[in-house]
Amino acid sequence: MNVRRVAAVASKEWRETVRDRMFLSLAFLIPILWMLVFGYGMVLDVENIPYAVVDRDHSSLSRDYLYRFQQSRYFDFKGALTDEREVEPLLASSRIRAVIIIPEKFQERLLAGQAVGVQTLVDGTFPLRSDITKGYVIAINTAFSEELVVAHVARIKGLAPDRARQLIQPIKLEVRYLYNQEVKSAWTIAPALVMLVLTLAPPLLTALGIVREKERGSIYNIYSSTVSRLEFLVGKLAPYVAISAFNILVLWLMAVYLFAAPFKGNGLFFYATALLFVFITTGQGLIVSLLVNTQQAAAIITVVLSIVPTMLYGGLLVPVSALAPQTKVIAHLFPEMYFTNIVHGTFLKGVGIEVLWPDVSVLVVYAISLLSIGYWLFRKRPSV
Amino acid sequence: MMHAVRSPMLQAVWWRRISVMIVKELRQLFRDKALIGFFFWAFIMDVYLAGSGTSMQLVNAGLVVHDADQTVSSRELIYRFHQPYFRFDGLVDHPKDGLRRLDFGDDIVLLDIPPRFHEMLASGESTSVQMQVAATHSPQGLSAASYGARIVGEFGLEASARAMGLSANGNLSLPVVRSDHRIWYNPNQDESWFMSISEVLTITTIFAVLLPAAALVRERERGTVEQLLVSPLSPFQIMFPKVAAMTLVILAGTAMSLFGILHAIFNVPMKGSLALYFAMTTLYVFTTSGLGLMAATIANNQAQVSLMTILVVAPMINLSGTWTPPEAMPIWLRELMLLSPLHHFVNISYGIQLKGTGLDILWPSVLSMVALGGALFGFGLWRFRRQFR
Repeated sequence: MNVRRVAAVASKEWRETVRDRMFLSLAFLIPILWMLVFGYGMVLDVENIPYAVVDRDHSSLSRDYLYRFQQSRYFDFKGALTDEREVEPLLASSRIRAVIIIPEKFQERLLAGQAVGVQTLVDGTFPLRSDITKGYVIAINTAFSEELVVAHVARIKGLAPDRARQLIQPIKLEVRYLYNQEVKSAWTIAPALVMLVLTLAPPLLTALGIVREKERGSIYNIYSSTVSRLEFLVGKLAPYVAISAFNILVLWLMAVYLFAAPFKGNGLFFYATALLFVFITTGQGLIVSLLVNTQQAAAIITVVLSIVPTMLYGGLLVPVSALAPQTKVIAHLFPEMYFTNIVHGTFLKGVGIEVLWPDVSVLVVYAISLLSIGYWLFRKRPSV
Repeated sequence: MMHAVRSPMLQAVWWRRISVMIVKELRQLFRDKALIGFFFWAFIMDVYLAGSGTSMQLVNAGLVVHDADQTVSSRELIYRFHQPYFRFDGLVDHPKDGLRRLDFGDDIVLLDIPPRFHEMLASGESTSVQMQVAATHSPQGLSAASYGARIVGEFGLEASARAMGLSANGNLSLPVVRSDHRIWYNPNQDESWFMSISEVLTITTIFAVLLPAAALVRERERGTVEQLLVSPLSPFQIMFPKVAAMTLVILAGTAMSLFGILHAIFNVPMKGSLALYFAMTTLYVFTTSGLGLMAATIANNQAQVSLMTILVVAPMINLSGTWTPPEAMPIWLRELMLLSPLHHFVNISYGIQLKGTGLDILWPSVLSMVALGGALFGFGLWRFRRQFR
């Protein structure tokens, strides 16, 4: 490998990129803009669930009960309905996502010490959201029931309320959250967004950069030159890797300072693994670019190939441990998951190579194999 | 364009030009073998993968237990942390070993049951159980804690009710509010329905924005657009067939995933009108391609247009209301997303398929989509014309 020839290819590529002002600015702007909108927009907390109520009891206890939903930041009160027939069009138009129906004799039965069922209709279109909604309703019901039961037991057994409470809830559950003590969704999302952006942007730049030459025909200059395959690929990829290497810093700064995610690990270790990940995604872009002939195809294929595994298997929205067994196997086939482990490990857990070595070694294998496949696929004597 | 069409003969010529151009676009597209191969992969395999086995609800949260009591009661409590929410991964001798498992990320919950747990429970004293939850993934951490609280609460209540003699043949005779849930539209909470529909939306959006945009810029980059412009074609007759051809292709793709995957494999219902669904998909593809065409008139080459459209497409896909609930987003972003055609199409698509809604309910979303599409398409056409005057 001749260093001067590599430098020549790299400087040619760099000049071409720099002269295309819009391409250059997009290469730096995309990570920043994505980080901004995703950081603010990808809120995993389910809040402000729009709901309506049907109160058939109209008692002071039912009002007291419903008041708890109005007080909750998880629910957004949209109105009281008088008839159950009004429910269907509202749910169908997605103007509300849940309806709480209080039966007749709600107060009477509860005061008599009997159990009452409150029906909740939930829009099941988005299963995660309906599941969480259900959980919130149960939590409110449990808290409400506990007070009633305490009062009831205190009355029939003639105990003081505190003693009754202790009898009813003999076990206290002390929950401690580790790594993300305040359970902020931003702490989960912001570091993972570094993964998302580094999965999407580098392969796109690379694939477009190479296919551009193929489509315009300027790659024949390379085919007929003395530049070897390896020299060409190294020189060609260097500017794109350099752009992404700079973007890693920007993304890290945004995650830590803008979204206030804690960074507990070793900065150097993080930077090294992020760079390793950039080599992988750049390698993906390289392989796509060698298999297609048009930039149109290159762009679409890279985007779908990187968005889909990231969203489904990357551990960004769905933790990999929650996947079904066969999906978990698929998730292990994509590099995204391992990098998410590293990102969450270094940011939130403050662990380093001593814990993350399995993930790092898988990434090393990926980087080496993807770049070798790219090298192997690239021919200076194209068959077509 | 339209005003120039007067006699029936001219009209026939007008339509003939359009159809010739559509055929040209289709041919050009089908010659790109890599792209066509990938088209099948995306609309069939990707949709299948997305629908099979991805779950966003709390399932299988790895649980390790440090049981310092080892009695009937403690075992009974552990037993209640069961599938599908928790996956019992065994006992640890020391809480430290459990924390290490959490560090590695294999497990996310460590339950610590104190010594004399059974004894204190039997004697009516209060005791406490510790639960350490890894909240690296915050919603999962919250769910795990809330399920845990529910399990421990019920366990304690039942134990004390038994002790006080308030439980009659297994039922508690206490004034509690029971939660009866009815889930509409997807009663079994089958996540493959949600996932596969959302994946079709994602793929449709990517293709709808990128295909026509790249096709238009490529024509300009190669200079072949000059040939078209010296022909008797109007700018509309050049731009419209591109979108029409891509729309046809994308509709075919949607039909493939709808009948081949969604209906055949995942049993996703089509509660509403199939014709309305396809009509709305057509409208959506048109609207969204307007976005690509607009970018195409600003960009100078394909690399630029690809980056520009992807800059917009990625947030559109992620923030339009399938993956994350729009209700929880900050107001400024929620309002910005009203400009995303996908935001409206999410309502329409899930509405027709799962809820069986028709135009009587969906018209506000449809109207917004038409307005957005009209504006984008009109702007793109105006820019395109101006560039070649």
